[in-house]
Amino acid sequence: MKILIVEDEEGLRESIEEYFTEAGNICETANSYQNALSKVSLYRYDCILLDITLPGGNGLDILKSLKDNNHPDGVLIISAKNSLDDRLEGLNIGADDYLVKPFHLSELKARVTAIIRRKSYNGSNLLVFNEITIDLLAKEIKVGTTPVKLTRKEYALLLYFIANKGKVVSKNAIAEHLWGDGIDMANNFDFIYSHIKNIRKKLMEAGCNDYIQAAYGMGYKFTA
Amino acid sequence: MKLLTKYNRVNLITTVIVMLITGIIYYQAISYILTGQKDKDLVVEEQEVFDYVKLNHELPQTFESNDQQITFTPARPGSVQREFINTEYFEKDEGHKRHKAGGEYESGRGLISSVTVGNKYYKILIIVSKVETEDLIRIIFSITVGVILLLLLVLLIINRLILNRLWQPFYNIMNELRLFNIADTHEIPKLKSSIDEFNELNHTVVEMAAKAKLDYHDLKTFTENASHELLTPIAVINSKLDTLIQTENFSDRQSKLLNDLYGAVSRLNRLNQSLLLLVKIENRLVHDKQQINLRELVDEMIIQFEEIFNDKDLKVTYRLADKEIYASRYLAEILLSNLISNAIRHNQRGGEIIINLDAESLTIQNTGDNEALPDEKIFTRFHKSSGSEGSGLGLTISRQICENFGFTLEYQFESDYHIFTVSFN
Repeated sequence: MKILIVEDEEGLRESIEEYFTEAGNICETANSYQNALSKVSLYRYDCILLDITLPGGNGLDILKSLKDNNHPDGVLIISAKNSLDDRLEGLNIGADDYLVKPFHLSELKARVTAIIRRKSYNGSNLLVFNEITIDLLAKEIKVGTTPVKLTRKEYALLLYFIANKGKVVSKNAIAEHLWGDGIDMANNFDFIYSHIKNIRKKLMEAGCNDYIQAAYGMGYKFTA
Repeated sequence: MKLLTKYNRVNLITTVIVMLITGIIYYQAISYILTGQKDKDLVVEEQEVFDYVKLNHELPQTFESNDQQITFTPARPGSVQREFINTEYFEKDEGHKRHKAGGEYESGRGLISSVTVGNKYYKILIIVSKVETEDLIRIIFSITVGVILLLLLVLLIINRLILNRLWQPFYNIMNELRLFNIADTHEIPKLKSSIDEFNELNHTVVEMAAKAKLDYHDLKTFTENASHELLTPIAVINSKLDTLIQTENFSDRQSKLLNDLYGAVSRLNRLNQSLLLLVKIENRLVHDKQQINLRELVDEMIIQFEEIFNDKDLKVTYRLADKEIYASRYLAEILLSNLISNAIRHNQRGGEIIINLDAESLTIQNTGDNEALPDEKIFTRFHKSSGSEGSGLGLTISRQICENFGFTLEYQFESDYHIFTVSFN
């Protein structure tokens, strides 16, 4: 997939680029309004990560120009403005999603993956990963032909892992993904461990390989 | 004591004292003048007696005239000193008078003198009645008292009617001050009074309020800007940490350090978010008001927290009735999430949480430390129980949200339960 990262903060831009660069992905970056505008007028991307406050202009104007030209690029707004009005305006103009800084890279990856999936798998609701098949509409999981019954949170967690396959996902990121960042359970992530244990047990009972590994007590990694 | 009462009291007491002093001086002056008049009459009478004795060498016939009596008594030569006295005058009964047998005593003025007729020495006593003088004084006194009473009455009425009206601007300003809220947009109105002091007071109050609002607004803007500016560096730290853990091969010690860093960054982030949220609520910048079924929202929250309840072996019981509110869903979620996560965080393993929702109120009670929390302190910013990992803003935000909704949030400690009550009123 081809991704454009429009972000003026160098540190953040580099981290995102590094996280998204992997086999089969092309990442381009833009650090200003002009730069971004010229790129989106020349090339098409599967997903554009768009900061709103840019030197030289407002990111929302880039979004407007995309929509005015009927470009199908997926757009995810990343902004430091956690205001409902901003969020609504962005989504009204036609952004696919809205993520507030600061965020975990794994969360960003999961959101981008979801946008691209919605855009490119037109009509198909099936997500296939090796022997695991996930029906995204019915929220049903099969390993080979054996159905696996997961709870709501376990299901969300599995999708999160698959979107971030090959990456170490921190416990903080998992907690915030499952319970929202309002939750303030500070460093007590024992309950994540029991979730992971359950998913592994259920998948392996259905004959699935063990993909989930603990990573140095900091998080987990879904190895492909 | 009200200024009006105090003023009235001083005013009335002064008036009464001044009127009394005036009355006494008046009385003294009039008695002095009238007594002087009587004394002159007495001297004239004495002179008449002397003239008569000189001419006729005998005592004049004593006779009764109206209001005058003269008596002669023989005395030892040189024993009588000439003097004026206050004495009694015996008014002989003339048939229609009452009182003591044969007559009535009135106050009188007398002159004692002496005369020598031939070789006989006589003491003369001339007495005149003072009854008319006394009547006059009595009338004057009554008029004075009457005037005092009338004056008191008039003063009272004037004070009641006019002073109340005069002070009205003052009470208006007081009322405005009482309603003054630094956070809302209502301005204290300028008022026109014919009294300079009140105009000045109003002017000062209006200016002060405007200044306070401006300062408060500046402070809020600063908080908001500062928090905003912090977001980007926090985002960078966060993303760098996420990138760092992708590089493999960490020792146990390193991963422990990284975990601590993660924890600290996420706390910093939450703290910052809370500050931003607080500013937003206080500025009433959250506009997504809608009809919310609170029961459904609480249900969702309970499901959301289910794993965490289980993880801590918490026994959760709830009784929920339907309750519709018209409010921001975003804020309502934060309120519930704050209250429930507090009930979890400050609970002990195997403890209990009871959630009750009815038409009047939502109560969330939990077990925990067997000791009441300091009632009002817990709602202030950055108040935390020792060992709490929270931001110290959760309850402040919750209370602000409740105020924003027109609800009240209160805390009680009852039979080992910490109880937070949101009353819908």
